[in-house]
Amino acid sequence: MKLYLGWFYPELMSTYGDRGNIIALSYWAKILGINLQVIVISLKDPKEIILKMDILFMGGAQDKQQEIVNNDLKNHKGDYLKKAIEAGVSGLFVCGAYQFLGQYYKTADGIKIPGLSIFNLYTENPGNRFPRLIGDIGVKTKIAFDKIIVGFENHGGRTYLSDKSLAFGEVVFGFGNNGRDKTEGIFYKNTIGTYLHGPILPKNPFLARFLLNKAIQKKYKKEIRMKKFDENWEKKAREKVIKENLK
Amino acid sequence: MFYFLIFFTKIVIFFSRLFKFGAGSTWPGHLALFFDSKFIKKILQKNNHLKIFVITGTNGKTTTVALLKHFLEKNNVSCFSNQEGANLLNGITSSLIKNSNFFGKINKEVAIFETDEFNFPLILKELTPLAIIILNLFRDQLDRYGEVNTIFSRWFEALKNISSNTLVFLNGDDPQLYYLGKKISGQVFYFGLDKEEMPLKKLPHDMDFNYCPVCFKLLHYKKIAYSHLGKFFCLKCGFKSKNIFTSKESFSDFPLKGIYNRYNLTAVFLFLKKIFGFSIDKLKLLLNDFLPAFGRQEKITYNNRYFYLLLSKNPAGFNQSIEASISFIGNKKNVFWLILNNKIPDGHDVSWIWDVNFKKIFLVTKEIFVSGDRAFDMAVRLKYEETLLKKKIIPIIDLRQALKEILKVTKEKDEILVFPNYSAMLELRFILVGRKFL
Repeated sequence: MKLYLGWFYPELMSTYGDRGNIIALSYWAKILGINLQVIVISLKDPKEIILKMDILFMGGAQDKQQEIVNNDLKNHKGDYLKKAIEAGVSGLFVCGAYQFLGQYYKTADGIKIPGLSIFNLYTENPGNRFPRLIGDIGVKTKIAFDKIIVGFENHGGRTYLSDKSLAFGEVVFGFGNNGRDKTEGIFYKNTIGTYLHGPILPKNPFLARFLLNKAIQKKYKKEIRMKKFDENWEKKAREKVIKENLK
Repeated sequence: MFYFLIFFTKIVIFFSRLFKFGAGSTWPGHLALFFDSKFIKKILQKNNHLKIFVITGTNGKTTTVALLKHFLEKNNVSCFSNQEGANLLNGITSSLIKNSNFFGKINKEVAIFETDEFNFPLILKELTPLAIIILNLFRDQLDRYGEVNTIFSRWFEALKNISSNTLVFLNGDDPQLYYLGKKISGQVFYFGLDKEEMPLKKLPHDMDFNYCPVCFKLLHYKKIAYSHLGKFFCLKCGFKSKNIFTSKESFSDFPLKGIYNRYNLTAVFLFLKKIFGFSIDKLKLLLNDFLPAFGRQEKITYNNRYFYLLLSKNPAGFNQSIEASISFIGNKKNVFWLILNNKIPDGHDVSWIWDVNFKKIFLVTKEIFVSGDRAFDMAVRLKYEETLLKKKIIPIIDLRQALKEILKVTKEKDEILVFPNYSAMLELRFILVGRKFL
């Protein structure tokens, strides 16, 4: 079984260690016997390539880089990305990438930058007088509500969902979308938008397998057989964060 | 009040050393500033003769200060610096107090202050340096310091109206710093490496600037030294570097490995040449007895094994440590020890380890021990790098326990390559060499 993983703008959207998600997906694909090909989708690449992908990923970055990427998405690739997500591709969009997919992002200076309006949400940065939302975060997700997934968040923008039931999960500790309504991220079709760095997949490997499985289901109309996996270290890394925060 | 504060804080230093509370490298300054916020200005007014140098950047500060001190002392120029790790205002103030007499007079010619990238603008508000070195700017502790663009804007604000007499030495291979030099009022000099010495053709993953600071189009590079340092040019607006001081002769006597140390050394050469008129050829003769600073390729003998400490606290620095360690040991298979903490001076977030390339370690290692608060984060990182080599990775959180195991698997005269982040380096040094003040 072969899957294509489209990695958006790694040379611009890689400030926060989110590359770990690509490494984790590659690792778990190998364990599960999937031939995963990572394809970089960058500024110069044609938009048609997006529709060939089975999994899509984009990480977070700084404002300047995001501005460059946002222009490329709006002027070139956005429609195709929307098509792919609406068609149920497996996707993971972290932090800045997550914000792009909403209706708009209002900067600290009050400028409204339109997003791709794939997700029904908007993000506002309340200004530099307000602190960024930084720290460990634990979330119970829709995908497995009995597990707490952990990560690290670091964002100035506050995101508000039009429909809170679309949230990817419920905050157990940390801030999540906006530090107020206990929602974290969005789960739409088969795509996850989230604020979790850490990176999210290596410490929560069942999510990596979930994304791979969804992609296999869609492409090959079958399920990956999940057995017991060696993930003791991942568990210990995760438990360390939970223990520190749920004292 | 001023004289009383000097007297009082000097007594604090005396007692803190006597009773081993610490080296007195921050508290005395903290107290002086608490009682008199203008203390630094006052003590400097009494010492107009003092040449003040400020060194900042993400990586290489401590080594650069150590090199400067080494060369200055060898040339009989008296100097002092703030203690490593004490690079906030209180540390700088403490060093001023320590080096003054009871009347606030400092009997030295040069003060070298190391400051971290975040505090640099605050320090420029308190004192006017004769010269500044900015070594580089990489992402580091994003949860504490913020993103590199934020740091850059703060630097720009701090430097844009600096006295036109101030000499500013910038890394001209860094596109953002080169651009900074064109926008500020001081006298700017650039240091860098020669194109022939740069090993890479493609930007590596740990870089932070790949777009033109003038027109925001993607930059091109003829060659790259590491991270985003290299010979860049913009096809759209023509932005590129010129007049970069390089020093290409061989440095076989230089005990510090790695291309990043070449930058530090080149910066120091240019600096001493411009300010003191020293001859670089003569400086080179003084290189062989330079001792690495604390934890920066420092060699510590313990139980007849040699532990090399290579401080590694951000992606660019870690990748460079790995490169340097390989030039240390060649193809010999050694034990590696990676120690990852997330205490306050390290930053709490450890996501950055996923931007480090560990592949090369697996080629030259027998076992990789992994320790520290976040040992299991590092263990997962390594496991995902080389699926089949998991058995080589041995996670043991506690440093002393890991050390015991390392002694078991090594024999006398073996070399162990240790990559700790900041607090981990201090912890390990404490174990290996006992209490030693910074």
